[in-house]
Amino acid sequence: MKIFQALLFIVLTSLSTGTALAQTQVIPAKAQSAPVLLKGAKAHLGNGTVIDNAVIAFDQGKITLVGPAASTSVDESKYDVYDVSGKQIYPGFIIANTQLGLVETSSLDDTRDAAETGENNANVRSIVAYNTDSELIPTMRFNGILMAQATPQGGLISGNSAIVQLDAWNWEDAAYKVDDAMHMSWPDKMLRPRWWMGESGTRANPDYEATVQQVRDLFTAAISYQTPAEGQPTNLRLEAMKGLFDGSKALHIHVSNAKSIIESVTVAKSFGVKRVVVVGGEQAHLITSFLKDNNVPVILTGIHELPAQDHEDTVLPFKLPKMLYDAGVTFGISNGGGYADRNLGFATGTAVAHGLPYDQGIHAITGGMAKILGIDQTVGTLEQGKDATLFVSSGDALDMRGNNVELAFIMGKSIQINARQQFLYKKYADKYEQPVNLVKEKN
Amino acid sequence: MKKLLLSLIALVILGNFSHAQETFPRNDAADERPSAFAFTNATIHVDHQKQLTQATLLVKDGKVVQVGNNVTIPKGYQVVDLKGKTVYPGFIDIYSNYGMPEVSRGGGGFGARSTIGPGNPSAYNANDAIKSQYDAFQEFKTDEKTAKKLRDVGFGAVMTFKADGIARGSSTFVTLGEGRSNEVMLAPKAAAMYSFDKGSSRQAYPSSLIGSISLLRQTYFDASWYKSLKDKPFADNGLDAWNANQSLPQIFEANSWINALRADKIGDEFGVQYIIKGGGDAYQRAQALKQSNATVVVPLNYPAAYDVEDPLDAYNVTLAQMKHWELAPANLAHLEKNGVPFAITAAGLQNPGDFLKNLRKAHHYGLSKTAALKGLTTTPAQLLNMGDKVGHLNPGAVANFFIADGDIFEEKTQIHENWIQGKGYMVKGTAPADLSGKYTLSFNGETHALEISGEPGKQQAKIVAGDASIEVSLKVDGAVVGMHFSKTKDGEKITLTGWQQDNNLSGTGRLEDGTFVSWNAAYTAAAEAAAAKPAAAAAEAPQTGEVIYPFVSYGSAQKPQQETILFKNATVWTMEAEGVLTNTDVLIQNGKIQKIGKNLSANGARVIDATGKHLTPGIIDEHSHIGGAAINEGGVNNSSMVRMYDVVDSEDQEIYRALSGGVTAIQLLHGSANPVGGQSALLKLRWGATPDELPIQGADGFIKFALGENVKRQRNSDPVRYPRTRMGVEQVYVDGFTNAQAYEQEWKRYNSLSAAEKANTPAPRRDLVMDAMVEILNSKRFITCHSYVQSEINMFMKVAERFNFRVNTFTHILEGYKVADIMAEHGVGGSTFSDWWSYKWEVRYAIPYGSTLMSREGVLTAVNSDNAELMRRLNQEAAKAVKYGGLDEYDAMKMATINPAKLLHLDDRMGSIKVGKDGDVVLWSDHPLSIYARAEKTVVDGTVYFDVEKDQEMKLAIEKERARLIQKMLGEKAGGASMQRPTGRMRPRFDCEDEFTYTGSNY
Repeated sequence: MKIFQALLFIVLTSLSTGTALAQTQVIPAKAQSAPVLLKGAKAHLGNGTVIDNAVIAFDQGKITLVGPAASTSVDESKYDVYDVSGKQIYPGFIIANTQLGLVETSSLDDTRDAAETGENNANVRSIVAYNTDSELIPTMRFNGILMAQATPQGGLISGNSAIVQLDAWNWEDAAYKVDDAMHMSWPDKMLRPRWWMGESGTRANPDYEATVQQVRDLFTAAISYQTPAEGQPTNLRLEAMKGLFDGSKALHIHVSNAKSIIESVTVAKSFGVKRVVVVGGEQAHLITSFLKDNNVPVILTGIHELPAQDHEDTVLPFKLPKMLYDAGVTFGISNGGGYADRNLGFATGTAVAHGLPYDQGIHAITGGMAKILGIDQTVGTLEQGKDATLFVSSGDALDMRGNNVELAFIMGKSIQINARQQFLYKKYADKYEQPVNLVKEKN
Repeated sequence: MKKLLLSLIALVILGNFSHAQETFPRNDAADERPSAFAFTNATIHVDHQKQLTQATLLVKDGKVVQVGNNVTIPKGYQVVDLKGKTVYPGFIDIYSNYGMPEVSRGGGGFGARSTIGPGNPSAYNANDAIKSQYDAFQEFKTDEKTAKKLRDVGFGAVMTFKADGIARGSSTFVTLGEGRSNEVMLAPKAAAMYSFDKGSSRQAYPSSLIGSISLLRQTYFDASWYKSLKDKPFADNGLDAWNANQSLPQIFEANSWINALRADKIGDEFGVQYIIKGGGDAYQRAQALKQSNATVVVPLNYPAAYDVEDPLDAYNVTLAQMKHWELAPANLAHLEKNGVPFAITAAGLQNPGDFLKNLRKAHHYGLSKTAALKGLTTTPAQLLNMGDKVGHLNPGAVANFFIADGDIFEEKTQIHENWIQGKGYMVKGTAPADLSGKYTLSFNGETHALEISGEPGKQQAKIVAGDASIEVSLKVDGAVVGMHFSKTKDGEKITLTGWQQDNNLSGTGRLEDGTFVSWNAAYTAAAEAAAAKPAAAAAEAPQTGEVIYPFVSYGSAQKPQQETILFKNATVWTMEAEGVLTNTDVLIQNGKIQKIGKNLSANGARVIDATGKHLTPGIIDEHSHIGGAAINEGGVNNSSMVRMYDVVDSEDQEIYRALSGGVTAIQLLHGSANPVGGQSALLKLRWGATPDELPIQGADGFIKFALGENVKRQRNSDPVRYPRTRMGVEQVYVDGFTNAQAYEQEWKRYNSLSAAEKANTPAPRRDLVMDAMVEILNSKRFITCHSYVQSEINMFMKVAERFNFRVNTFTHILEGYKVADIMAEHGVGGSTFSDWWSYKWEVRYAIPYGSTLMSREGVLTAVNSDNAELMRRLNQEAAKAVKYGGLDEYDAMKMATINPAKLLHLDDRMGSIKVGKDGDVVLWSDHPLSIYARAEKTVVDGTVYFDVEKDQEMKLAIEKERARLIQKMLGEKAGGASMQRPTGRMRPRFDCEDEFTYTGSNY
């Protein structure tokens, strides 16, 4: 029996051992080799419930046991046991609608692979551009984000996203669900003022109707493409749209304005698109019954935003998750894309601070999000049979005072937590002879 | 029946000048006619106050000869009987572009190429936006089409200018008469014109409002320096003209109350009282305008109501837009009530024909007739020093007046004629005959009762037989009257044509069968008056909502007041050596922290139970861009002369939102467009105050410098500006400080001269760029330097050390952790982002441990936002230092409070909870570093500017006010008013890199 006691290996002196801290890059972990048992922590299951003192076991990448310590009998000798008493366990956070792995440095065009040229890129697939060596990935893992939906942007039809797990050698082993959704940026009805031209008023988008017509034309063609005439040549774009009609692929509509949400969802449904998800949804609170009646989930991307309208609640975006929750709308929480996606937990914490029940907040970035993304059969909650994709934090992972990932597992693999940012920190802390305050890793 | 003024119209047609210009060559026989008129029996407004009835006006050779009740008409005068008519002095518009050429826009456009130096190769000013040499009289040409539009609404004279440039040269004052420009020009050079808009200039500088203001300021200095030089080193005809124009009235185009205050402040610096062309929003800060002592030129354009039928569309319209729609017609009434002197202009009206309608609306909303007339006659005339000639009808005045058929403020009143320089111009076409009355219509042996009713020109006729009546189609064409009707429905028509003779009608007609007959209609009685419209509507000004301060959502009619506040049982984060005190009371009185202790009490204090809550000092954001109208002056690589204090914007809603996150003071920084940016404004977030009330009095002077990619502009489309590399950046600094040293020496030498020597020595040129650089050298102004990578950070410290001063703060400072030891030694502080990185190459090695590393190395470290969203969560940004590197929580909280106070040299009065310091505190619902902490009350100077409960009340009040306004607009629509699309207004949310000026408004 091996027991890894007191995982709080906060080392207050300079580390001399050859740990992962010497590495600026992350080495993907080996497959789970022995059953693992985590005991004593408060477990947030990701489905809205919590077990205060839990035992969680997993083997060969799958969760084998979840229950209250008091009422679950476990033969500890069969496991690598981690006593994580007083800590908290969460399913790995899922960041949806991110350009992680696609864009490295947003101001440098040659590091940008999220937005293909042209308006209709129904055929492009983000998975092949997903860079497992992106230096942003470890910064996500450090804060508890273990899965991502790498999402293309731009144009009217941006392309197809892929759901990846964040510990991989290349995009093939990163791929969790490829082409999970096609992304459409619904045109804005109103355009922002061009302040540099002296404007301060919004103005109607002159191309709005024409663009909507383009969408209709495209979907009309895609439907007729399903029953091809003899000798019909292959059309890659229309081919890629097939899954929308049989439900194997979701349509994620990026849209914020209430009227545009109604219009875009109605258009998509009228063409028989089976799974429609609204991404953005800034004005979703104005049309909650529409969203509920149409069973359309919303992925909120702007919790940490300013209100768009002067007359709105001073902190409306903070309150939006609570408002949708109260109205019974299905929603998940994401962030705006980019480096700040690592703050997903804190955006969720803000929602909790403004009324969303805590475990509904967790649900919105774990089990609930997995359901919206169509991967809930295998991941997202701490339930028997699901992937052991989870992490242990020494405190509340939604609060920067508590978010301190000590252990993280992706499909049972114990992954490296520290990376280049921690390396640079230690490098200079050592130079200045300051204490180093980092989790010591076992590998 | 009313008699036509036929004689008068004949005169109008025949009227002519007797004094055609003598110097012009003549081609045939002279045709100069007597030009002397006596207008009798009129109601005459001699000026805006004096009104005569049954009076006579004598006009000869274009001038008023006499006006009064007992006037003897001399021989040779043509008498015009104006019984029932009213005469007003011609209106004067002193803000017109009448008869001037179009101005092409030059400097505008996103990504347009610009030049460093002036494009004008002639011997004018070094900046193309200074066009003082331009005189409108040189290009003015009469333009009958436009003149007629203005005459038709009562104008007789306008001041006109070319709206191009910051100094626009002189305007010219002309009448709206026809003919040669020579004959209509009353004053060739009427006023000197200014604006903030560089117009057609393609020169890079100024690129912003801060730059425009600085250019004006420098030009005042340059002009007076240039004037003082006996032996001019170069010719600058622009400055010569600038100096010459100083004796004229000075008129500044501001177009909004906030720019009006900005313009007035420039004037105050140089002893100039501008006349200010304002906007329709002056009511929003009428008191502040009053205090400026400026006379305001006010337009009469009102926004149309928004089409808010669809609630989702209505959602996009701002509260300010809705309120402005309602209050705009009351603008002048508010100015009158507050004693702000004003002139009225038709400028900005899309259709000048709406002028009278809008003027009447202003009157309906409470503007007195006297004040309105004054603003259209006496005031504009006096502003141009033309009070002897125009604006009234006293003897000697130019005979500019119009004749109306009643009180000009009455809806029905029409202007019949407008006389300019003694020449009449018809306004209203020949009035159609008034046929109203009851007649006996006879033809072919039949008689019918005919009734004609309604206003002349729109009269209707019918034949009455008992209770039934037959519609008669009536048409009046000049002197000819036509009627046709059918006796039965769908029957053949009887057509009659004829004329009016005395009161009767007669003529010839054709019956159903084609027979021609004579007919007549004998007048029997007057028509019954139409049911009188309820006159009450006109009497009372419409109800409007209140003006709120600021004029944006979450502003309020009552400005927040200072209180005596006692917080009981709080967990107090003193940010002093005392640390965190539990169960402690804090008393704030007279805006200061009065007492800290247990069991405090105070008479009359508002007691706030803070049990279980945390009280911290107000959060201070060292790096903010809210509350300003422009952030960057990127037109030059050294803009040390621009001042953020010049563009403080009290109406930015982000001020309130920042308060909701516990922020009480900010440094409004210049952006990072150039190596040397501009001077900061240190502000307290006093929501509702005027722009002048936000600055922190007595604060030290700060200035923004910038390293990094932005100043190199390699991503910019306009590559003309130096520098392009970090090598060049250093040289900009070394060059700037080297020049500053020489400049200081030059002034020292000059100042050491005796008075006699000074008289014989040309003074050095005052250079505002160098003034600021010298202040830095002498540690009288302190640098906040935007910075990213370690090489440039180190470089800049070395530059400072070479010139023997210290950098005050590195802001952003994402690689500060790599040189924290050198920073500590230099003595510079760091104001940093907690965890930003990877958005551009130079932040590739930014780490969230930076603040912890710098803090522990002894660098005074703060967290900053550069972002209106993030600034509401600076406590959380500080908390990230706890997560990343395990900084002590108390030290982390210092990074949002006392440390930025120290960086801004404000720690003697802010940044901690200490007796005697400013009453700037935040009451948090939870541990202030927790994600769950919400600012419940944010107090500045003992005034609660944010209260989470009041915030929710205000939100409901806003919804209620919007609902009221939406109902009112729906009513307008139902009443057939023309509506506008429900488009919204959006402010830009500035960050470091934004290079445009926000000229728009919230409404």
